[in-house]
Amino acid sequence: MTTSQTTVAKAPGSRKLLSGARKIATSFAVILTTLLGLLVITFAIGRLVPADPVIAAIGDQADQATYERVYKEMGLDQPILVQFGTYLSNIVHLDFGQSHITKNAVSSDLARVFPATIELATLATLIGAGFGVPLGVISAVRKGTWVDHLGRVVGLLGYSTPIFWLGTIVILVFYAKFGLIPGGGRIDIYNEGLVEGPTGSLIVDSIIAREWDVLWSALHHLAAPALILGYAAMAYLSRMSRSFMLEQLRQEYILTARAKGLSQRSVVWRHAFRNIRVQLLTVVALAYCGLLDGTVLIETVFAWPGLGQYLTSALFFADMNSVLGSVLLIGMISIAINLLSDIVYRFIDPRTR
Amino acid sequence: MLRRQFMTIASALAIAAAMPVAATAETPKDQLVIAVNMSSMRGLDPHELNQLESAEVVANLYERMITLAADKITEPQPGLAESWTISEDGKTFTFKIRQGVTFHSGNPLTAKDVAWSLQRLVKLGLAPSTDLRQWGFSAENVDSLIRATDDQTVVVETPEVWNSNLILLSLASFSTSILDSAFLADKNKDGDFGREFLQTADAGSGPYSLRTWRANEMLIAEAFAGYWQGEPAMRRVLMRHLPESSAQRLQLEAGDMDVATRLSSTDLAALDASGDVTIQKTPGFGFYYVALNQKDEILSNPKVREAFRYLIDYDGLSATVMKYYGIKQQSIIPAGLPGAIEDNPYKLDIEKAKQLLTEAGYPDGFSKVYYATPVTPEYEVAQALQANAAKAGIKLDLQGGDYIGKFRERAFEIFSARSGERLPDPHAVLASYATNANNADEAKLTGLLAWRSAWDVPKDIQDMVQAAAHETDQAKRTEIYTKINRAYLEASSPLITSFQRTDAKAVRNAVKGYQGHSTWLTRWDTVTKGE
Repeated sequence: MTTSQTTVAKAPGSRKLLSGARKIATSFAVILTTLLGLLVITFAIGRLVPADPVIAAIGDQADQATYERVYKEMGLDQPILVQFGTYLSNIVHLDFGQSHITKNAVSSDLARVFPATIELATLATLIGAGFGVPLGVISAVRKGTWVDHLGRVVGLLGYSTPIFWLGTIVILVFYAKFGLIPGGGRIDIYNEGLVEGPTGSLIVDSIIAREWDVLWSALHHLAAPALILGYAAMAYLSRMSRSFMLEQLRQEYILTARAKGLSQRSVVWRHAFRNIRVQLLTVVALAYCGLLDGTVLIETVFAWPGLGQYLTSALFFADMNSVLGSVLLIGMISIAINLLSDIVYRFIDPRTR
Repeated sequence: MLRRQFMTIASALAIAAAMPVAATAETPKDQLVIAVNMSSMRGLDPHELNQLESAEVVANLYERMITLAADKITEPQPGLAESWTISEDGKTFTFKIRQGVTFHSGNPLTAKDVAWSLQRLVKLGLAPSTDLRQWGFSAENVDSLIRATDDQTVVVETPEVWNSNLILLSLASFSTSILDSAFLADKNKDGDFGREFLQTADAGSGPYSLRTWRANEMLIAEAFAGYWQGEPAMRRVLMRHLPESSAQRLQLEAGDMDVATRLSSTDLAALDASGDVTIQKTPGFGFYYVALNQKDEILSNPKVREAFRYLIDYDGLSATVMKYYGIKQQSIIPAGLPGAIEDNPYKLDIEKAKQLLTEAGYPDGFSKVYYATPVTPEYEVAQALQANAAKAGIKLDLQGGDYIGKFRERAFEIFSARSGERLPDPHAVLASYATNANNADEAKLTGLLAWRSAWDVPKDIQDMVQAAAHETDQAKRTEIYTKINRAYLEASSPLITSFQRTDAKAVRNAVKGYQGHSTWLTRWDTVTKGE
């Protein structure tokens, strides 16, 4: 084995392979360190909050004997390092413990609430990127014209408007006043329970089950919060793509392309845009991560039963297992998205390989 | 090409969002939709939960031997037990169980299920087991004291003589719900009597059966066709988790909800003014209280305790933040129960408080740390007290947070919160506020508010509380309770009660028969919907 490896290493092109492997190993080391840091921080926060997790679990009315029993059951009588060790070993087995509020395993709760957040964040990112990127590009191309000004004002508004406030206004105007959008939740309450699984995304599941009423209801409920979040994402993405694009348009190869007599469309989209794809991908990935953990406010306003609401409620009721599980999940997803964008990045732009 | 498709999809979604939704203005005639805050709902096992929203669900999934009508809260009525007799010595209760009742599983309900369920409650020993344990039932004696003698007869023997009404009222509590023992037989996991299974499922005989419960999201209950009192009018009852008061209010106004249960004072006032909605205020058996730790030298001075009573703006708060949440009540027995008095001798009087502080030897006041729960209206009440105290020279460092743990450990100076009992009898409140058998730290009687405040309750008061609970003559009991009530006021207890709590619900006018219940047992099978 060793011999053959040595042979491979010496073969032409193998150096590249080895450096690739080293990069992957480095990436993994970084990920593991980040995860460990995340675990230490979440664990420390869990132990520092003043709320008593035992009372959170059994309620204030339980007698002292029950209190002491549960205190032991939770392992709180153990030294802090032992508690951390137990916590780590459980996590390795994907066991986040039981939620004291829902009485379910935290992992199964997360499996239930997370698709709701993914659905919202994904659509918001699609809206944000779908409108934001073209807007940014057009603003850059028409720099200084009314189109650019309008684009920047729209962006600035989206950037500076608090989501919570916007959500409330949208509900007041479009739900309460005109009845154009439905009230809170993911679906009309009468359609609840008609479609269950397999993905947890109501859009996908209702299409699989061919339950069109449910799909219609789910889309309606999704529209307003997704548009609001999407608008915020759009503001960010249009600003970024405008500045990326401006930078490209100043480059000499653009002048050359124009001098060759290429059409404006071809210069902008075939040449300049091609060169900002990689940067855009990174900011879209960042925006997506931001949306996944930043939907807390919008989920509260729209009573959206996703991770944000789950986490808020868990925090409020000192349901530490749920809090730790949620934070860890968000952390892991962020790491995964970053890693994925890194891979795609290399795929799109060979120079970064 | 890809870009164009993508833009088309995005535009289509944007347009879909802007299109009107078909008539969401009314909930269907045969379905009841309730907006609740599910955040503190902890499972649906009747022998484990101890919380308002869960209790309402359990009240409809299960039944009990005794029922209490919402408007006659202290009068036990036949439920699953169609009749009962009480032995001469007052210790043996014999219940005749109704025939023809079936569980949701189809199993017939017999005396065996009743005995098994009550034994289960005591043996599990969780918070609601107090309802029976306080009368002397324990895991060791319950099998012999509560037993089925045949299919229709249950015998309940109490270890001591208690007022019989106390026992009967206890058997109307949600905690004494009757479970399907045969159905649960194979749901046992590590000797938990099916406890894990029952968190999210039901095994009852009530008018509704549980279809779906997703914690912090929604709950669906369906009418039980085989219900012995006939199938209820509402085919389904739907609960949606809406933690925001404003969201509950908007959906109620829009007609998407029939009942809203956790509204802020502002939203209640707005709905009250609208005319489409009725605000129900259901009195509860608990108080908004301020606890002064008696281990603290200054706070244990009776004059200081008395001074605090003059620093609460009872009338001002009544008209504002407490309008929907409480009724002014300075004595210790809630209105509507035997022994309640209407005396409210205290009012806000800064000068009087100052004078009492001077007499106590603190003319310049003092500083204390004050813990309060940061929720409405408790925090507003705490802020009002802080402001008034400042005028009398007492500096209160108000800290809003979850300090219930500190309160239980007696590691506080001043603490305020609200209490809630379910047994519609003065004993329930007095046992916690006015008995403390052992005031030592090691006694850890953490269930009692008096122990938590380190209040060595005067012996005559404690004796009277015990005597009243054992007294079988109802008239004599009422007399004793009146005495206790006055003695409590005179003792200037460190547990200062200011308002008896009320739970406010907003109900659309079209909904009839939905009635908030002081012991949390609001029924859905009595609900109908008009035009």
